[in-house]
Amino acid sequence: MKLNKEQKLKLYQNMVRVRKLDELMVKGLLSGKIVSFFHSQQGQEAVGVGACTFLRADDYIFTGHRGHGIGKALSKGVSPRKIIAEHYCKTTGLCSGISGFHICQPELGVVGHGAVLGGEFVLTAGTGIAAQMRGKGQVAICFQGDGTHCRGPFHEAMIMAAKWKLPFIDVIENNQYMINTPVSEIYPMENLADLALGYHVPGVTVDGQDVIAVHEAVQAAADRARAGEGPSIIECKTYRIRAHSEGSRALRINQPRPQEEIDTWRERDPIKLFAERLLKEGVLKKPDIERIDRNAIEEMDEAERLAAADPALDDPSLLQRVLFSE
Amino acid sequence: MRTIRYTQAINEALMEEMSRDDRIFIMGEGASVDPYGLHNGLYDKFGKNRVRDTGISEVAIVGASVGAALAGYRPIANLRFCDFIVPALNELLDNAAKWRYTHGGQQTVPLVIIANMGGYVGAGTEHSNAIETIIMHTPGLKLTVPSTPYDAKGLMKTAIRDNNPVVFFYHKRLIGTTGEVPEEEYTIPFGVADVKREGKDVTVVATAYMAQMALEVAAQLHEKGISVEVVDPRTLEPLDIETIVTSVKKTKRVVIVDEDTMRCGVAGEIGMQIMERAFDYLDAPIQRVAAANLPVPSYFMEPYVLPTPQKIADAIGSVLGIKEPLPVRPLERGLLRSVRVDKPES
Repeated sequence: MKLNKEQKLKLYQNMVRVRKLDELMVKGLLSGKIVSFFHSQQGQEAVGVGACTFLRADDYIFTGHRGHGIGKALSKGVSPRKIIAEHYCKTTGLCSGISGFHICQPELGVVGHGAVLGGEFVLTAGTGIAAQMRGKGQVAICFQGDGTHCRGPFHEAMIMAAKWKLPFIDVIENNQYMINTPVSEIYPMENLADLALGYHVPGVTVDGQDVIAVHEAVQAAADRARAGEGPSIIECKTYRIRAHSEGSRALRINQPRPQEEIDTWRERDPIKLFAERLLKEGVLKKPDIERIDRNAIEEMDEAERLAAADPALDDPSLLQRVLFSE
Repeated sequence: MRTIRYTQAINEALMEEMSRDDRIFIMGEGASVDPYGLHNGLYDKFGKNRVRDTGISEVAIVGASVGAALAGYRPIANLRFCDFIVPALNELLDNAAKWRYTHGGQQTVPLVIIANMGGYVGAGTEHSNAIETIIMHTPGLKLTVPSTPYDAKGLMKTAIRDNNPVVFFYHKRLIGTTGEVPEEEYTIPFGVADVKREGKDVTVVATAYMAQMALEVAAQLHEKGISVEVVDPRTLEPLDIETIVTSVKKTKRVVIVDEDTMRCGVAGEIGMQIMERAFDYLDAPIQRVAAANLPVPSYFMEPYVLPTPQKIADAIGSVLGIKEPLPVRPLERGLLRSVRVDKPES
């Protein structure tokens, strides 16, 4: 799918919205409004936005924990107010406030994310089975980081998905670090997309800072999956600017990360890169950038204001109601 | 009424439910041919889309079942041995059990896990477990452990129709047993215990093979003038504690038999619940008969670890204050392979 001007603008706006929401969540965590966690995804916006903005509403996504899925969820149409409300443990949250930091909106195909990382490979394969049996051309996408691709469930899911040609897409969000351990300390290969070789499925490595490249790779994989040709692996090389979990330090093994490395990746900030490209293409003008920034800040501030005013969850009867379904 | 095998009863439940609802499918290692006959005829009737042979990948079998359930299907995962659930505990204890709760009740996980349980067939340390405690301990899972063909069929149908994850354990030593099962459609609700034998002197609470063992002991003690009531909860979650307590209030004495390890086990849990509700009615301390705090050893050593008829009789004697021994027939030994001859029923 070749993107027109409006579609490119949408990708840009979504990346800015995700960044502003992420910044607000970081503030929320540090100020104590969020009492659980926040795992910032700053610097990785192009992955979720590029992959999800033009998916079908009935395509399934497992967002992964990074940014608590905001990059993917906002792109699929989830309301920021409901995301914030969940983090504030409010009844209006996406999970009625009971999870404290998970998100889910079934009618938008946002299934959620687990907290034992890497569990979702096999869950996504299962939604892929459902999608295949239903025969309506849905796809199921699993977003996981570099680290979780060490886990066994990845292998079990890939064998199953590859042989049964499930409409399954594995997006490896390679942000270079497993907490503080560099990818190069763990994996024997440079490109994690090479993991695809063992399963006889396509595996591509794309620039995860280039929202268009991510979009095109995911659309190609989705077209292939919808046509019944089975799964794909897409590695998006990106960079986590902040710490694994807000409140801790971003280290390289046990030392501060090299400044040169941080500077290099800041130069390759996905929002900055795409703004430059859209300015060059004439899709955006300088004042548009400021306006989009301002609109996103206003949107997120308003969402925060409403979420903060929403009622806190304090209803013991809910506990039994949500444990089992009738 | 006709008499059929325990395994055929389960097979009929699967066949009938899969015919009724085409969202139901079954996955497992070699699911097309279950060695105990549970899946007879399913592959031929429903094909490989609904009877899926997987690799040796318990994580994928359980995890993909959770995923398919979240996406509107009704999977059944057959793990064969309950010991093999252990590799997939993240998928079962976190994903299946908690997904609905974590997400505020917006999603449901209609899923059945089938596996055999228990020892007494010489299957060694990693094929003889009775991991009921792990399942019963985990909020968000239901657990059914049928002791008769009638219960097995009715409870399997209820399990499949339930909108929540249900673990269905059938016992290895019950595979070859037979019992009356009506031709007509029926289901058995969860959380309803069955008094398998009425008695007035002592209550024995037991499920699955332990219920059958308790009934054998009860029949022998009857000849000695001891009246044993055998209560089979049939589902451990939900647990029908009311029926158990009613029985205990009547007999004033209780022995709980369970095949899982004694420590932190099912018997301890049920015993504590009885203590909380019926302490004033008890004329003797509650007795437990469960596996010793040891792994299940090889064939000839099993009776030193697992419950036996004599251990049950001794516990009954103890709660009744009977000083002299109550000898009962020793354990009838069995082998798993001797009952693997379930021919397809036409």
